[in-house]
Amino acid sequence: MIQVKSLVLAGLLAFAPAMAMNGPAFAQDNATAAAPAAATVAAPADSAANAAAPAADAAPAAKVAAPPRMKPTEGIGMPKPGEITLQEQFTSTGHSARWLHDVMLLPLITLISVLVLALMLYVMVRYRRSANPVPSKTSHNTFIEVIWTVVPVIILLVIAVPSIGLLADQYKPAPKDALTVKVTGYQWYWGYEYPDAGIPEYVSNMLTKEQAKAGGEPFQLAVDNRLILPAGRPVKLIITAADVIHSFAVPSLWVKMDAVPGRLNEKSFTIEKPGVYYGQCSELCGARHGFMPIAIEALPPEQFDQWVLSQGGSLKNGTAAPDAPMGPQQGSVLPAPPADAVGNNAL
Amino acid sequence: MMATLPPSPFDRDRRNRRTMLTMAGVGLSMLALGFASVPLYRIFCEQTGFGGTTMRADANVQVSEAAGHTMSIRFDSNVQPGMPWQFYPEHRTDTVTVGRKDMAIFIAKNMSDKPVTGTASFNVTPTQAGAYFTKIQCFCFTEQTLQPGQEVRMPVLYFVDPKILDDADNKDTQQITLSYTFYPVEPGKKAS
Amino acid sequence: MTTITADQYGDHAHDHHDADHKPAFFQRWFMSTNHKDIGTLYLIFAIFAGVVGGAISGLMRVELAEPGIQYLQGWANIQHAMLGAEPASLDQAYHLWNALITAHGLIMVFFMVMPAIIGGFGNWFVPIMIGAPDMAFPRMNNISFWLLIPAFALLLGSAFVPGGTGYGAGTGWTVYAPLSTSGSAGPAVDMAILSLHIAGAGSILGAVNFITTILNMRAPGMTLHKMPLFVWSVLVTAFLLLLALPVLAAAITMLLTDRNFGTTFYDAAGGGDPELYQHLFWFFGHPEVYIMILPGFGIVSQIISTFSRKPVFGYLGMAYAMVAIGVVGFVVWAHHMFTTGMSVNVKMYFTAATMVIAVPTGIKIFSWIATIWGGSISFKTPMVWALGFIFLFTVGGVTGVVLANGGVDDVLHDTYYVVAHFHYVLSLGAVFGLFAGFYYWFPKMSGRMYNEFLGHLHFWVFFVGVNLLFFPMHFLGLSGMPRRYPDYPEAFAYWNKIASHGYEIMAVGVLIFFINIFWSLAAGKKAAGNPWGEGATTLEWTLSSPPPFHQFETLPVIDDAAHH
Repeated sequence: MIQVKSLVLAGLLAFAPAMAMNGPAFAQDNATAAAPAAATVAAPADSAANAAAPAADAAPAAKVAAPPRMKPTEGIGMPKPGEITLQEQFTSTGHSARWLHDVMLLPLITLISVLVLALMLYVMVRYRRSANPVPSKTSHNTFIEVIWTVVPVIILLVIAVPSIGLLADQYKPAPKDALTVKVTGYQWYWGYEYPDAGIPEYVSNMLTKEQAKAGGEPFQLAVDNRLILPAGRPVKLIITAADVIHSFAVPSLWVKMDAVPGRLNEKSFTIEKPGVYYGQCSELCGARHGFMPIAIEALPPEQFDQWVLSQGGSLKNGTAAPDAPMGPQQGSVLPAPPADAVGNNAL
Repeated sequence: MMATLPPSPFDRDRRNRRTMLTMAGVGLSMLALGFASVPLYRIFCEQTGFGGTTMRADANVQVSEAAGHTMSIRFDSNVQPGMPWQFYPEHRTDTVTVGRKDMAIFIAKNMSDKPVTGTASFNVTPTQAGAYFTKIQCFCFTEQTLQPGQEVRMPVLYFVDPKILDDADNKDTQQITLSYTFYPVEPGKKAS
Repeated sequence: MTTITADQYGDHAHDHHDADHKPAFFQRWFMSTNHKDIGTLYLIFAIFAGVVGGAISGLMRVELAEPGIQYLQGWANIQHAMLGAEPASLDQAYHLWNALITAHGLIMVFFMVMPAIIGGFGNWFVPIMIGAPDMAFPRMNNISFWLLIPAFALLLGSAFVPGGTGYGAGTGWTVYAPLSTSGSAGPAVDMAILSLHIAGAGSILGAVNFITTILNMRAPGMTLHKMPLFVWSVLVTAFLLLLALPVLAAAITMLLTDRNFGTTFYDAAGGGDPELYQHLFWFFGHPEVYIMILPGFGIVSQIISTFSRKPVFGYLGMAYAMVAIGVVGFVVWAHHMFTTGMSVNVKMYFTAATMVIAVPTGIKIFSWIATIWGGSISFKTPMVWALGFIFLFTVGGVTGVVLANGGVDDVLHDTYYVVAHFHYVLSLGAVFGLFAGFYYWFPKMSGRMYNEFLGHLHFWVFFVGVNLLFFPMHFLGLSGMPRRYPDYPEAFAYWNKIASHGYEIMAVGVLIFFINIFWSLAAGKKAAGNPWGEGATTLEWTLSSPPPFHQFETLPVIDDAAHH
């Protein structure tokens, strides 16, 4: 059995060259903007202290500084004021789903609604009593009845092809070397754990209005400790909940997956660009259902690695080090509830 | 029933009663079906792997290895908040040959000063892999009691059914995650 | 055309008192066995419940008009003061929000739409339209109605007992476990569940009564394929109720035992599964939305035919489209659960099955338009409401096709897009059907004509209001605003403000409705037996307005000549 636990090597580092090509673009987008925010808002490293002690074998790396907290770009990864359509997408399923909605479904439903409206306006004018005092007695026309049964069937078939394809895409599991992050929903905050890097669970609470404003972030979307993910690398979230059902949702990444107690769900995606992407709990979970937002900070891969090291994590993917003993990262060591979560500040 | 003789009120009352009783029977059957859905749903999940339900096999089951085909297995552990246990897998991930029986160890420790009995719920993701993830032996089949401070190593003996290689829905599945959640067994609670 | 002749059993079919002899007040209204009186009771009840449910949505829109919590804390303090409790904490105020959305949903579904459209119009007109003297089981009919009263009292009462974080049941109308079990201590959720049990029991009795009435009590010659489409719609609805409600009863009974008796049907700790509850709930819940809309289809068919002076186009297609919608409605439930983590095949199946519903629905919409085509339309108030129904239901229907795509639902699920969708089919569909039916039959029920000007004014104000209220919710949903939130980020402020203004306009429309009713009851012109002219061919228009207390003591015989 032991010999089975051979190798299978870490594609993780192999991604670095690929990312390097995109690197400059990332830097332009974010590196400059990130610095000012770091001064006003606590970096994840500081406030992750309430999580359990990091795994012992990662200790040497603990001196690395965390990358500065990224400042969100207005209108990216968050709703825009007065917006009338879907948020801009940053995953491949997001693009194809948005295409399906914007290019197929929305024009089609608009067309059908306008067609019905036009037909109704026509008959209302043409067959008003003053224009048509004697009604016809027609009550059957097999041909037209067949037409309006068959044509919708054809339209639905046309929709079904990309729709089913999209579903298949969304279910494409991540490669086995994808970064796996465990997401746990609590009443009323989220917990994030990096089992392979050995970063124990830390919790993520909504910022108060003042804190959010100070950090230049949208209130009710901003959180203290964001979920830090690498851009450009495949990511697999394994999602569960500790008490009632929550739902982990980030509209700009086309992600929505229920967090169900006693059951694990998974969702895989690759974030295309570094940035901050916001979401909100999307299953009624009690009093503060509206106040447990999600914020994902997608870092360029090198910065992500730096962040992992700053958290005392190890860069070796789990599959690369199958024999390293794992410490107890879960169970009795529960993340502490928020010190002053929403409190009275939301008023 | 057509435009011949209409039924007399007498016949009508009898027919009404008959219809009502039939319909009441239909309603009661649906009620029964609602309750029967509990075992039916469980059987359905166990048979089809619906929702990532794992399969179960005998210790002497014969499976043929699919040499050269491996699958990464990830182990995930949870403890219900408030249960004084540590519970975690010995290894976070493992790589197995499809069809080969393998064993994973989970470690549980009672951190309290009282004996605690626990039972575990489980599923695998991606859910479509449930029908191919077969357990031969598992601590989750029975309740576990730990004495104060006691630590146990609990084995799971499992294999990945080689039929998974022929399943179009699983052609991209490279890693299966097996997740457990431990709950304390409260004396009053009956398993449904 | 319908001809009515006396049949030879007529002498035995009626009691030997005057057809219009009415019992004393208490007997008549509290122990009523008369389908028309029970129908009236249902309508009054539904209007009352509609005002309560609508007022709750008003509270919601006021709070949501601007970002931030403006009023919720104050309302929670009032609620707590009424109960002599401490002033509410912020969490308790948030809980009140959840209690409000729960109450709004349950009241509108179980105590407004269903009682009005099935209990009210179904009771009033199904027996008359099939030429029956009354329902098959008049006393059972009475029980069905009176069960609603304790059910409604329990639901309203639940707002004043503990329900977890605060007072009231804050679980959403879906009552998902484990939020409704381990997540909501206190009797509020138990009361809400019992309320559903009682209301459901009443509805099941009603369904059995309607099925029996329609299958057995039709006048001679009134074959199934000659029945007016409203009767068809109630027949299909009654079967949906009979098949779906017992499943809900079982599901929520298990919730009760999980809450109170230590069972673990939905608790993973004991080998149960919270997702099972969702499956059971939506096995009921999806047919439930057709229960609310199908009678509206029937009403609209009658009205369109009447005011176009044409028989319904494609009668058989219309009837069997409803049957098809009912049947398919039972095999699409899990499209409400697309984000629960189901496997890809299951999601593909439910995506495909759900889209199939668009076909019979399309048949209905096009057949209505074809009914008008070539007709001679008079734009009386009921017709205007029916035309509004067709268009708004189309808009609500097409967004259903969008949501049916499991891949797209991943981002729209549980957002305001869903809220917009189901309010377009229910609040603008079913409710427009209700108002259409109300104006159509008001002269028949009351013996007075409503005010045509106020009726039109009501329509236009309401139409503008609800569209302003619900259309922006599509935008909110697309840009990601989740449902069931008492507050939202600044970016959602714009459309929320507009939606809240829409509510104000809609409320003015409802006010006009009430003015119209009271004015018409007091001073409306006396209505003729058939105020709508030659287009109105169903049997209720052969009777006086209002009809005699007992009608068809001499059974009508429907001529063999097809009148469709």
